[in-house]
Amino acid sequence: MNKLLIAMLAVAGLGLAGSAVAADAAAGKEKAAMCAACHGADGNTPLMPEYPKLAGQPADYLEKALRDYKSGKRKNPLMAPMAQTLSKKDIKDVAAYYANLKGDLTVKY
Amino acid sequence: MTLRNLTTVGLFTALAALAMPSYAEGDAAAGKGKTAMCAGCHGIAGFRTAYPETYHVPKLGGQNAGYIVSALKAYKVGDRSHPTMKAIAASLTDQDMADLAAYYSAAGK
Repeated sequence: MNKLLIAMLAVAGLGLAGSAVAADAAAGKEKAAMCAACHGADGNTPLMPEYPKLAGQPADYLEKALRDYKSGKRKNPLMAPMAQTLSKKDIKDVAAYYANLKGDLTVKY
Repeated sequence: MTLRNLTTVGLFTALAALAMPSYAEGDAAAGKGKTAMCAGCHGIAGFRTAYPETYHVPKLGGQNAGYIVSALKAYKVGDRSHPTMKAIAASLTDQDMADLAAYYSAAGK
């Protein structure tokens, strides 16, 4: 009985942990409005050649980039203030949104 | 055209040349020969870097050349901190960076 209870609690705990970090690409689309001005409405047509295309880039890479901009580990005067406005959930959502878009990016050997 | 006009045109041309950013011109063919350090991670679909954090490495194929150069320079000067990328970028000249950027930014695999 105790084991069953522990198992049920563990499953419930996993469920909670999962929902806390789950990315929502649809929500990310709304939050990406401020990104579009520079990275392009489609995430594939940046305003300047020095700005990266984001569409199709892996979500965990985009999350890492935004986390590092936010913490200051990655230094960029344009991206630092943008990332400051994003919560952990925002970062997950925006990353999921851009990762799901199709663009020019490929794995090139 | 009078001599005076010619002088004016000449001055404007010289000023325009000075105002251009001093980026090295990239040679995609030369860049292809310099990818040995890149391909082991960026050339493999789904590859994850394992240190210091685990996440997918970014796709480089089709990325903006200007961004690739700025990313490599950011690693070289310490504005980005991935240890492997720092070491690799430190070994690259401006010409190497421009060549690699020209190679990866071109479409295709």
